[in-house]
Amino acid sequence: MIQSPPVTAEIPLDATTEKLIASDVNVYYGAFQAIKHANLVMRGQHVTALIGPSGCGKTTFLRALNRMHDLTPGARVDGTILLDGEDIYGADADPVVIRHRIGMVFQRANPFPKTIYENAVYGPRIHGERDKRVLDEIAERALRQAALWDEVKDRLNRSALVLSGGQQQRLCIARAVALNPEVILMDEPASALDPIATSKIEDLIGQLTEQFTVVIVTHSMQQAARVSDYTAFFHLGEIVEVGSTNQIFTHPKEKRTEDYITGRFG
Amino acid sequence: MIALQARRSRRVERLALFGLRIAAGFVIVAMAALLLYLGFEGTKTFSADRVSLSAFLFSPVFGVDLGQPGSEVFVLGSLAVTFFAIAVGGPFGVAVGIFLAEIAPHRMTSVLKPAIELMVGIPSVVYGWLGLTLLVPLIRTHTSSPSGFGLAAAGIVLSIMILPTVITLSEDAFRSLPAALKEGSLALGATRWQTITRVLLPSASSGIAVALILGIARAIGETLAIQMVIGNATQIPRSLFAPTATLTTEIVTDMPGAAQGSLLEHSLFSMALLLLMMAMVLIVLVRFALRKRR
Amino acid sequence: MALTTAPSARSVAATASVRARKIVDSVATVTLWVMATSIIVLLAAFVAYLIYRGWSALTPSFIFGVPKEREAGGGVGPEIYNSFYILILTLIFTIPIALSAGVYLQEYARRGLFREIVQFSAESLATVPSIVMGLFGLLVFVYTFHWRYTALGGALTLTLLNLPALLRVTQEALSSVPDTLREASMALGGTKWQTITRVVLPSAIGRLTTGVVLIAGRIYGETAALIFTAGLSVTVNSPYDLNPFHTAETLAVHLWYTRSESTVADVERIGDGSALVLLIMVLIFNIAARVAGRALTRRFTGRAS
Repeated sequence: MIQSPPVTAEIPLDATTEKLIASDVNVYYGAFQAIKHANLVMRGQHVTALIGPSGCGKTTFLRALNRMHDLTPGARVDGTILLDGEDIYGADADPVVIRHRIGMVFQRANPFPKTIYENAVYGPRIHGERDKRVLDEIAERALRQAALWDEVKDRLNRSALVLSGGQQQRLCIARAVALNPEVILMDEPASALDPIATSKIEDLIGQLTEQFTVVIVTHSMQQAARVSDYTAFFHLGEIVEVGSTNQIFTHPKEKRTEDYITGRFG
Repeated sequence: MIALQARRSRRVERLALFGLRIAAGFVIVAMAALLLYLGFEGTKTFSADRVSLSAFLFSPVFGVDLGQPGSEVFVLGSLAVTFFAIAVGGPFGVAVGIFLAEIAPHRMTSVLKPAIELMVGIPSVVYGWLGLTLLVPLIRTHTSSPSGFGLAAAGIVLSIMILPTVITLSEDAFRSLPAALKEGSLALGATRWQTITRVLLPSASSGIAVALILGIARAIGETLAIQMVIGNATQIPRSLFAPTATLTTEIVTDMPGAAQGSLLEHSLFSMALLLLMMAMVLIVLVRFALRKRR
Repeated sequence: MALTTAPSARSVAATASVRARKIVDSVATVTLWVMATSIIVLLAAFVAYLIYRGWSALTPSFIFGVPKEREAGGGVGPEIYNSFYILILTLIFTIPIALSAGVYLQEYARRGLFREIVQFSAESLATVPSIVMGLFGLLVFVYTFHWRYTALGGALTLTLLNLPALLRVTQEALSSVPDTLREASMALGGTKWQTITRVVLPSAIGRLTTGVVLIAGRIYGETAALIFTAGLSVTVNSPYDLNPFHTAETLAVHLWYTRSESTVADVERIGDGSALVLLIMVLIFNIAARVAGRALTRRFTGRAS
C-alpha cells in the first residue's frame, strides 16, 4: 500500500499559471490511433506526472509536447497544444524554437561522446552563442542546477562517457537546462538508475520547479507520489483522470484509476 | 544400432573437420607463398642486379638499358593520381553516404542503391573505355591539352571508380550510430545539418577514415582503367594535363616485352613488391582505425 | 541573445538567428540532393552512351565470329567463350575452398590464434592489387611451372584473387543465421556437422548465392590478373577449346588489347561492341544475383529473406 503524500493546500486555478494546455489532442502512427482526445493543463512551476500501465501512451503524449513526432515518418498529431497561449503546431510555429523553450530528458542517458563541458554548452552553441565567457557561465550555472557541478568542476574537459549512469543523466538534465527552457519534459528519467541515483534525481526535480515547469512520465506510482503536484492517469491512449496528486492517490474518482493504483492491473 | 550410427557420424564429422581446416590453412599458405615469391623475385633488382634501393626509388630516370631503373616517375604518378581521386571522390562519397543514411527518402534510396551496386559491377576496362572514348576527347577539345591523355583524365576516371566504395562504407558508418545521439541533439533544437556536422560526423569519424583508406587502396591498385587514359609517358607530370605513368600502368605496359631474367623484368617485379607493401600499410592503418573505434 | 530574454517575451515563431540556421540546413540539404542525383544521372549517361555506340556492333558475326589479325570484321566469339570458361573454372576452385574455410571459421573455430591468422591472411590477400596477383600468377604458372599462358593458370590466379571476397560472403551469410536454429538442431540430438549441412547452410543459401553470383560478375570482368596468366590470344585452330591448358583471352582482356595495342582496322567497332557485351553481362549477373537469392531463400526456408 503506497504512502499517501503530505496534504497540501489545493493550488488555486489561475490562468497565468497554465503554462502548457493540451486540447483534444490525437496522435496517430499511420492508421493506429495512439492518443485519443487528450485534454490536460500543465501548470507553471509545478510537476505534472503522467502515469499508467506500459503501452498506454504516456510517452507518445509527452513527445507530442515538443514536436518530436515530426521526426517519425507516418506519425500525425492533431488538436492544439498551447504554450503560453500560442499553438505549438500553428502555421508559423517553428520546432527549433519550441525545442529551445521545451526541453527533454530521455529514459536512457544519451550524452554526446564529447567532453562534459561540450555537452553542457552544446545547446547554447547551436543556437548561436559564441562568447567563451558566456558559455563558461552557462556551463557552471547549468551544472549547478543539475546538482552535478561539485562532482565535475575539476574535470570539465574529460569525456562525458566516463561518468556513472546517474551522473550522465544529470549531465543530460544540465544540457537541457543550459538553454533556459521554460518546460522540461522527462521520460522515465530514473528508470535505468539504481535507487541512490534515483533519489538524487528526484530531489533535483523538486529543485528544478523553482524555475521550470516539469512534466514527467513515470511507471512508478511511488515516484509520482513523491515528486509531483498533479497527476494524469493514462489508459489505452486516453487520459482517464486528472487531479492533484494527493486526490488521485487517496480519492480516485474513476474505477480504472482506482484499479491501477491498487495494483489490480498494470 | 544407435551406437553404430553415432560412431559413423562422428567419423564423418572428423573427416569433414579435417577438410575444413585444410581449406582454412590454404588461405594462410597462399598469402605466405605470395609474399615469399614476390619478395624473392622483387628483390632480385637489388641482389642480382646490384641496384641500390635509393636509386630504384628516387632516381627520376627510368633508363633500364643504362642499368638505372629509377621508378620515381611511377611512384609520383601513382601518388598523384591517387591523391586526385581521393581529393575529389572522397568528400563527394562521404557526402552521398551521409545523404543515404540521414536524408534520403525511401524512394530515392531504392533507386540510388541499385545504381551504386551497378557501378561496382562495371569492369574497370569498361571504365577505361568510357574514359578513352568519352572523357579524353572532351579534355582535348576543351582544354590546352594536345592529346587529352594525362593525369586529369586518369584522376577523374579513378574518382568515379572509388565512389561506390567510399559511399557504402560512409553510409554504414552513419547507420551504425545509436539513434539516441541524433534524438538528443534534435531535442535541444539543433537543425538536421547541425546535428550531422556537430554530433554524427565526429562520432562516425573512425568509420569515415576506414572508408577513405579503403578508397585509397582501391585507387592505388587500379591498373587498366588508368592505363587507357593516362598516356603512358615516362615523365614526371608537370601539369594536370600532361601524360604520365603509374607503377601499375608501367607494369602492364612493359611486362609483355620484358625478357625473363632481364633488369627490366626484375624492376617491374620490384614495382609490384612496392605496390604490395603500400597495400599492406593501408590494411594496418584500417585495423588501427577500427581499433580506435572501440 | 535569445537566452537572456525573459521567458514570457518569447513566441513560438522563428527568430532571425533560427531562420539563418535553417537556411544553412536547406542549402546543405539541396546540395546533397544534387550530388546524389548527379550519380544517378552519370550512370544513366554511361549506360546510354555504351548502348548508343555498341548497339550496331552486336551482329551475329560479331558475337559468334572469330577475331581477325588485321582486317576488319572480326568477332569475339572465342573471347566470350573463354570468359565463361575461366569463370566456371575459377568458381570450381573458389567455392569449395571459401565455403569450407568459412564454415570452419564461423562454426568451429569461433575464437583463437589460428582463426586470427586466417582472418588476417584473408584481409591481406584482399588488398593485393589485381595486377600484382597477375604477376604472382606469371611467376608461378608461366615461369616456374612452365605452363605458358593457360586458362587454368588464369583461373587459379583468379581463385586467389576472389577467395577473400567469397570467404567474407560465406562468413556473413553464416552469421546471419540465428543461433536459436543451431540450438534447436543440437537439442534434437544432431551432431555439429548435421546441424551445419541440414540447418545452417540451407538457411544461408540465399545470401550465399547472391554473393557468389555478384563475385562471378566481377570475375567475368577481370582483366589485370589475366593478361599475364591466360594470355592475349586464342588457339587459332580450335577457338572453342575444352583443354584447360589452352591460351584463353577473355572478352575483358580483348577490349583492353583492342584499344591499346591492336592493329586491326576496326578497333573502335570491336571495342564498342565488347564494352556493350560486358555491360549487358554485368546487368544480367546483378539481376540474377538478386532473383536467385530471393528464390532460393524462399524455397529453403519459407521466409521472404
